[in-house]
Amino acid sequence: METIKNYLETMFQNLPNTPEVRKAKIELGQMMEDKYTELLQEGKSENEAVGTIISEFGNLEELAESLGIKEIVKEEKETPRRIVTLDETKEFIKDKIQHAYFIAFGVLLCILSPCGCILFDYYAPALEVVIGCTLLFVLVAVGVGMFVFSGLSMGKWGFMDNELCSVEMKTAEYIRIEQERFRMAKIGRITIGVILCIISVIPVMVINEIEAIAEVWEGISVVFMFVAVAIAVFLFVSAGIQNGSYEKLLSLSQFQSMNTFYPRQQKRITHYKNKTVESIMSVYWPTITCIYLCWSFLSYDWHITWIIWVIASVIEMYIKAVFKE
Amino acid sequence: MSGISSDVIRGYNDTMILYLLLDEPSYGYEISKRIKQLSNDKYIIKETTLYSAFTRLEKNGYVESFRMEDKESVKRRTYYRITEAGKEYYKEKCEEWYVTKEVVEKFIEV
Repeated sequence: METIKNYLETMFQNLPNTPEVRKAKIELGQMMEDKYTELLQEGKSENEAVGTIISEFGNLEELAESLGIKEIVKEEKETPRRIVTLDETKEFIKDKIQHAYFIAFGVLLCILSPCGCILFDYYAPALEVVIGCTLLFVLVAVGVGMFVFSGLSMGKWGFMDNELCSVEMKTAEYIRIEQERFRMAKIGRITIGVILCIISVIPVMVINEIEAIAEVWEGISVVFMFVAVAIAVFLFVSAGIQNGSYEKLLSLSQFQSMNTFYPRQQKRITHYKNKTVESIMSVYWPTITCIYLCWSFLSYDWHITWIIWVIASVIEMYIKAVFKE
Repeated sequence: MSGISSDVIRGYNDTMILYLLLDEPSYGYEISKRIKQLSNDKYIIKETTLYSAFTRLEKNGYVESFRMEDKESVKRRTYYRITEAGKEYYKEKCEEWYVTKEVVEKFIEV
């Protein structure tokens, strides 16, 4: 029976999600189920029954006639759906690209923020607190300011999450072309980002090996690592958000077909089996940030404290794997 | 059995369904089963064909559908009942068939 259900599910997945189509699916499912029960009673094996049913199912073109394109169009009008026009789409993409750069730049600033402390620690310890720490807080403040500003200014597109929306065919076509055009740029950014991440540690490693220059260059090499990683993350984040805007718009129209006829999940909240774990996990990343900052400021081991992020994400993955519902 | 071309029989699916509903209301699978039996397994109606015939007949007012519980099992099913208009239409189709048969037969080598 599972096979038949899957078969029916597959046949219907790209049809529009209308009452007619849903009814047809239920009715056909019922007929197939009846036939299945009867064939088994006649002594047929499960495989034989499934084979017979699928071969006698017919094809969906026949249904398209009776489900009628006209009725689908009429149905569309009855369930009002906020149409995102082509102009809105263009504006959304434009805003989203700007948003992507804001967020990416904010992240870049946050990553670069400890660089002042590091440089002064190596070359002018006396000024470390005065200039280094000031610089750190200024950069973090500007970065967070950019997140907040950008997040709030994207608020006007919130209706996409709260209302049923769709895009028209020609708009979807436009989005697809834009996404395709962006594809190479995205691949380029990710590739450069990965390369930067890998080479970021080279100077630190090399300079540590050469004692003669270690003193002078160590600080620079650590800063180089931060800069390289910051640029890499900038590239990842900007590419990801921009690509996400196309995905988002395209998902609006796909929502109309049967394959997404399930409660829409706006935010993917991970649920845990254990209540305690759940409450711990809700403050997990803020706690990690707190530990990171405390440890870094108390020890001034900025060159190594970043490892906490790597460990934290591994631990998170582990907790998810064990406790996730 | 050479099998029936679905193109030829298409125009008479409605007639068969209406005939089977003349006596009492029935539901999808039962109708397809009886078509198979009455035709001595020579014609097996496809599920999609049957369903599209139902919707067409209902739209034209020849049958009515209603939900009812099956006597034997406890499943609720959609049953179809023929209307007066449906009975009229059935008679028309029977007459049409006599003429069709008469005409086509003139061209068939026995």
